[in-house]
Amino acid sequence: MSDTTKAIFTGDRCLSCTSCMANCPVMAAIKDYRGPKLVGPAHGRMHFSQEDIEATLEYCSNCKSCDRACPSGVAVSTLNMLKRAEYYKTHPHTKAEDMLAHGEDMGKLIRKLPFGALCANLGMDFGKALGIFNKLGLAGERNMPAYASTPFKDLYPRIKQTATGKKVVLFTGCYINQNEPQVGEAFVKVMNANGYEVLIDEQFNCCGSPLVVTGYFDEARQHADNNVARILDWKRQGIPVVTPCTSCSLMLKEEYHELFDEHDMHEAATNVYDAFEFLEILQERGQFNDNLTPTAQKYLYHVPCHLKCQAIGLPAANILEDYLGAKVQTADAGCCGISGNYGFRKDKYDISMKIGAKLFERVKQKDFDKVISDCGTCRMQIHHGSGIKPVHPIEILAQAY
Amino acid sequence: MEKTTVVVIGGGATGLGILRDLSMRGVKALLVEKNDLVNGASSRYHGLLHSGGRYAVKDQEAAKECIIENQIMRKIGKSCVEPCGGMFTRLDIDDPAYEELWVKGCADSGIEAKPITLDEAFRLEPRLSRKHVKSAYLVPDAAVDGFRMAWQLVDSSKRYGGRVKTYTEVIGVENVNGTLSGVKVRDQFTGEEYSIACDIAVNAAGGWAGFVGKLAGLEIGVQPDKGTLIAFNQRIVNHVVNRLHKSSDGDIFVPHGSITILGTSSMSIPDPEDTSTSRAEVESLLKIGEQTFEDLRDFRILRTFAGSRPLYIPPGGAVGRSASRGFAIVDHEQDGLKGFFTIVGGKFTTYRLMAEKMCNQICAKLGNTTPCRTADEPLVEEVPQADIDRARKFFPSYGVNLAATRLGVDRFKKVVERLESDPESRELVCECENVTRAEVEEICKDDTSFIVNDVRRRTRVGMGTCQGNFCALRAAAVFADMGVESTAKDSLTRMKEFLQGRWKGIRPVLLGRTLRETEMTRAIYELSMNVTGGAAQ
Repeated sequence: MSDTTKAIFTGDRCLSCTSCMANCPVMAAIKDYRGPKLVGPAHGRMHFSQEDIEATLEYCSNCKSCDRACPSGVAVSTLNMLKRAEYYKTHPHTKAEDMLAHGEDMGKLIRKLPFGALCANLGMDFGKALGIFNKLGLAGERNMPAYASTPFKDLYPRIKQTATGKKVVLFTGCYINQNEPQVGEAFVKVMNANGYEVLIDEQFNCCGSPLVVTGYFDEARQHADNNVARILDWKRQGIPVVTPCTSCSLMLKEEYHELFDEHDMHEAATNVYDAFEFLEILQERGQFNDNLTPTAQKYLYHVPCHLKCQAIGLPAANILEDYLGAKVQTADAGCCGISGNYGFRKDKYDISMKIGAKLFERVKQKDFDKVISDCGTCRMQIHHGSGIKPVHPIEILAQAY
Repeated sequence: MEKTTVVVIGGGATGLGILRDLSMRGVKALLVEKNDLVNGASSRYHGLLHSGGRYAVKDQEAAKECIIENQIMRKIGKSCVEPCGGMFTRLDIDDPAYEELWVKGCADSGIEAKPITLDEAFRLEPRLSRKHVKSAYLVPDAAVDGFRMAWQLVDSSKRYGGRVKTYTEVIGVENVNGTLSGVKVRDQFTGEEYSIACDIAVNAAGGWAGFVGKLAGLEIGVQPDKGTLIAFNQRIVNHVVNRLHKSSDGDIFVPHGSITILGTSSMSIPDPEDTSTSRAEVESLLKIGEQTFEDLRDFRILRTFAGSRPLYIPPGGAVGRSASRGFAIVDHEQDGLKGFFTIVGGKFTTYRLMAEKMCNQICAKLGNTTPCRTADEPLVEEVPQADIDRARKFFPSYGVNLAATRLGVDRFKKVVERLESDPESRELVCECENVTRAEVEEICKDDTSFIVNDVRRRTRVGMGTCQGNFCALRAAAVFADMGVESTAKDSLTRMKEFLQGRWKGIRPVLLGRTLRETEMTRAIYELSMNVTGGAAQ
């Protein structure tokens, strides 16, 4: 029996307890949203009755707070995404959705032009200033992610690494590759310090997360098939795939098989690690390089929703505290509100900022040296909402080697 | 004194069918029922509208009746029948020789049984056991909602002057010199006793027919035969899925609205009131069911329920599964009571035919020559698609069609008006079954709604995933405001009896997720609300 015919993926384990609704940041921000329980498991039982669309499904940001809150292990957000995919089978996408879903293609295009990144960044500044974003359906209040002058995949060949026989493949994800290659560099430095050579695989696609949340299901499926084949290829060679992006790792580890239901996806998932999860495993095996320069710094840690639902604890916080002597305090202020490309939509901007308000307030207290967060869009949102620019914890660790 | 021409005793499918038939022929008729409608076998069953395939080998007479009535019900009962179709599947452990007999039996009975490839079977029913299923056929089975059909029969009867009194128990059969003069009844809520004068009374009390017979001093051979069924939380099947073997326990799955019903067992019992179910019965049903659906135990069981088939046992006849599923009409003039009839046995699927035959005899006695029209006229008018489309925006998604078929034209119109004028009435009383406050209010106001359970049967409030956890309080509150005053004023009792009704079906399946659900019920009602007043119950 395949996954999708199993009870759990029909919401059958739902007890209707409403924990998901109590923990849904979108519901707390806007009462129009009927909430995860109704839209997912409850309505799921009623689909037999007629062809219909739950109009408020568009409010779901796929932050997966519902999945975490569920005491019965129902993949509520996945039910929502599957339903959204169905909706877009018969409904056209807007221009904004097209752009937000296809950041990877945009990046590739821009890199083909001379001074493409610079021009694109300037263009985005003008676009924002002239109100073009707004007209396109994008949140005009927000800066679009700026392109780095050189993407990580072009920086990578310049990094000198020593072959040690131990290897990992870095899955950079789009954001680290195009916008914050320094995170990728930090990752390589950390892995090298731990005796690993870092490979990259140019055949990887975008993990597909932006495609899934915007309802480009078939495209996401193609990405999944390609990435899973690559991951399994690496697995056969005994080389793990590691990523510092928590939304990418969640997609590769969990969402693929929840959404697309293939045996291979389960198997591929066993070869994917979050960057700090991998380091924690090294530490448990006594293989972690603890020759680090200690720091007395205090970090405020915003734990991304997509890390929380991987159920691997807070490996970044543990390592920074245990080996660096840093003080890491979790922000404990809920979802930041941006949830991938959700907060970039014009019609979701206000909701996104309302959800993030508690976190912004916490950050503005400035009782720490730096804000850290594993997720690229969370970092953007915190920067936008508080004016304080966070860094990836791997950057902190890299500095200490 | 209250007067009518015919009193029909028993508000099951048969009695209601008779009420409708008589009313349509212009005979004044009143139906009395000691509980709510379809309190017996007419709702405590699979919800299966047989194609006749089930009887194609053993009883071709019954099979032929089924397929004819099945086609009639599909035509006249569009608001209560779901034409989901049926599938017969033979497993590796089933006798292939029976399959041959069955195919021939279907052909001989006029039942279209279309063989399909296993690939097609697994496509249509993805959860079927790849390991065990060896052959499959499609047949025109359907699902029928006993509650909805009952109230639609009432609506249809009312249009022709028919009347219904629920919670009115017959306690005596009155006669003058061997000729029936009336029945004595008791109002179950007020305790008031009174007589209803009539020329004819029909004992259509199903499993209780023997008790009603005794009131008239008559011996009636009816054997209650209990069947236990399991309701699963959602649709596991898309079609009615039958085992292709000699009819036995636990071999039919029916997609019944949002749930799936698996059943049934067969056990002779002395008392038709016995609707208890046990863990052992559940276990034995699951054991059989999982031969067809290997992952059956992975699916959430909502509850169990049981009802008794009223099997007619002629003197010296067989009992249990070997007993005939046929029906009998007895004119008790032969026993010295003129004007008193009993109709007993039969099947839900053929209720209309039974009613027609019964009414032919009654009308012959009354000199009424109007022919039966129950097969031609729809039970209720369907809500026009345009009205449904217009109302969509006021209903929760996936809610309008079901509400329209539950409510019928007039009540639907009233509910839509309320939803439109009072946006707050769009809130859901029952989140699992998608029932709005406006609909619950409309049914609460009906003069046949005496307790919250009556409202439940007509709206499906409390019949979904949480089994009343969130709606019991809400439904009881609406009922307290809008229900029949005499019973609504004691709102705590109404809420508790509603919850107790849910608890009854949950008790035998109190394990796994159902146990967790029940702990939540306890936490909400006993801890947070202290509905038991601190007393251990």
